[in-house]
Amino acid sequence: MFVCLCTGVTSQVVNDLVADGAATSKEVAERCGAGLDCGRCRRTVRAIIAAAQQNQCPIHKAG
Amino acid sequence: MSEYELHSLILAADYRVDDVETMWSQLKQRKSHLAEISAHHVVLYTSIWEPGRVLITIGIRQPNSVREVLRSAAISELFDISGVDYFPAIFAGEVVEKIDLDERGPDNAIASVIVGVVATVQDVSTLMVKVHDAADRFRSAGVRKVWVYRAFDDGQEVLILQEIESEAQARAWIRHPDAAAADWMHSAGMGVYPSVFVGKYTHLMAVDEGAR
Repeated sequence: MFVCLCTGVTSQVVNDLVADGAATSKEVAERCGAGLDCGRCRRTVRAIIAAAQQNQCPIHKAG
Repeated sequence: MSEYELHSLILAADYRVDDVETMWSQLKQRKSHLAEISAHHVVLYTSIWEPGRVLITIGIRQPNSVREVLRSAAISELFDISGVDYFPAIFAGEVVEKIDLDERGPDNAIASVIVGVVATVQDVSTLMVKVHDAADRFRSAGVRKVWVYRAFDDGQEVLILQEIESEAQARAWIRHPDAAAADWMHSAGMGVYPSVFVGKYTHLMAVDEGAR
């Protein structure tokens, strides 16, 4: 899915950056540009980061 | 099976609006902006379980660039007029197949329930084989139509719209989907993907060239 309408950054790109260690929307923005222009995609970027962190959590993983 | 327009782009967004009818009324006033991006149809579905949640699809003829469409005023306005201050993730893809399982034909169609899912699948071709093989079981469960779209940006990502005969059958389908649908039904709501959308067809707008 397309996350940043200004730059065309997709959820795959954001997922890859999060897997590579990006832990905040600012870090994602610095590495791919998503959220740097109008900023209206930051909420979605934060949701992707939160979902990835939840998946890494041993308690959620076990559930 | 129904015909579809080749090289056509479909955009889909699932989000919440302050007032569905006000949003639709304002969208109709901006038909010329939709014509500028070569949109031909806009369809609005409203959730039956979550007030204010909508699924909107926009069909676009032969776009030069998906990114140009996404950056257009018509798309940002879609959210501006909805009272949404953020951009939800947008599915952008093309139709793989529209499977019509309803043997009674369109004349016998009654208001039904739309179940929408965006999911990642191992392989879209395998998915289609599974759906065709399970057609009788789908039909028995009340599934009338299965429309499958493949994302442009991810060959494993699909948008699947299923038309189901009744709300009760939709509820049963979501709780216990057929084995052929279990993978994609269960991956809804993961990560960036919205949870399963359950709604009704609410509005359709045809956007003709003359609106430009």
